[in-house]
Amino acid sequence: MPIKTANSTKRLPAAVQDLKRQCGASQPRVVLLFSSSKYDAGELNQLMQQAFPDACVVGCSTAGEIAGGRMLTESVVAMFLDGDIVEDASAAVVENLRGEARVREAFSSFEQHFHAPVSSMDIHKYVRLVLADGLSGAEENLMEKIGDRTDIFFIGGSAGDDLKFHSTHVFHQGKAYTNAAVLVLLRLKRGFEILKTQSFHSTGKVLTATKVDEPLRKVLEFNHQPAVTAYAAALGVPAESLPGLFMKHPLGLMVDGEPFVRSPQRVDGESILFYCQIKQGMDLEVLEGTDIVADTRKAIEARLSADGPIAGIIDFQCILRTLELRAENRCEQYGAIFSGLPVAGFSTYGEAYLGHMNQTSTMLLFR
Amino acid sequence: MPGQIKSLLDSIIQQRAKGNSTIAGTTKTKLILKGVNPDRFNSSSPDDPAMLSKVRAIAVELGVSV
Repeated sequence: MPIKTANSTKRLPAAVQDLKRQCGASQPRVVLLFSSSKYDAGELNQLMQQAFPDACVVGCSTAGEIAGGRMLTESVVAMFLDGDIVEDASAAVVENLRGEARVREAFSSFEQHFHAPVSSMDIHKYVRLVLADGLSGAEENLMEKIGDRTDIFFIGGSAGDDLKFHSTHVFHQGKAYTNAAVLVLLRLKRGFEILKTQSFHSTGKVLTATKVDEPLRKVLEFNHQPAVTAYAAALGVPAESLPGLFMKHPLGLMVDGEPFVRSPQRVDGESILFYCQIKQGMDLEVLEGTDIVADTRKAIEARLSADGPIAGIIDFQCILRTLELRAENRCEQYGAIFSGLPVAGFSTYGEAYLGHMNQTSTMLLFR
Repeated sequence: MPGQIKSLLDSIIQQRAKGNSTIAGTTKTKLILKGVNPDRFNSSSPDDPAMLSKVRAIAVELGVSV
């Protein structure tokens, strides 16, 4: 089996031994590791690298884990990718995410490793994973820099810390980092697809961001009105009701009819803080929530019926989706969508696919 | 001469995609994420200097010359 997943809720070091046991005799080329913040990130990574000395061990802390068709908490999950899936892999850390976030060094290391310019790499064979500090507030800058430099698809998520909002970590070759991102470049033996799914439809109502504070992810005005006033008017509700409707009615930056979701975090006076940057002049459509389980199932089934078997899936699932599923007691139903498939992932503080987004599940499907 | 913005955006997409329709699509998405939606401009769109400047800056970021 070219892709295996494992999970454990044991303490360290037993959890690592447990993961190693579940991996069995496989010799993974890449080990993806997603762990609850209950684990000491430094110790966990040191132990994992010792347990898998020949593998590229990367990952991050989470706000909930996904493995084997189950949504978990306070656990550590791993995905083991062997040579039948990944021909070659290289990973690099980008530090100082809130500052310069120099991706150039990371790209140089990839070019040295693969003996080829990144610009010459086949976008159907190479794919990049991006795992970022979820409290950096700097994912957009990182992803723009990556997207500017390459046409290789990238997908990923922002690390979590079980909703403590204290400190998140990314993992690379035995060490844990904050204020950093890990970039992983995979050359795959077989095909892959990227699935981006969100459970919203547009109401058709448009809010144009006319005054913003981009670095703070704050919108001061929509349609030349105070942001709160305009957003509430678009929903036809009094301003004081607005925060309670944010989860079901985020905004969508529409690309060919499909939203890149921007989720409001909270009201700040007459302004609104978001979990994602909104640029001045952007037209955003007010969205309305639909059924996460039904929509995700439909998306996976469509991929299965169109292109046949899936060897495994990495699921970067927004924590806001997870919270909705938890509130509706539907985590089991969500997990069951992936029944029989090797799936690992985590609940994120933001998702990545070409850019940064919210309330979305971005998935890498291995064929 | 109206339509310069549309022309620049088309040139960015073409240069980046080099005939690859997948990359043309993702480049368009990247432009929208950067705050410039190519669908909002056509051959008669006014040459707003601020927008022209923004598009030229994006071209530099994307490593193409316009």
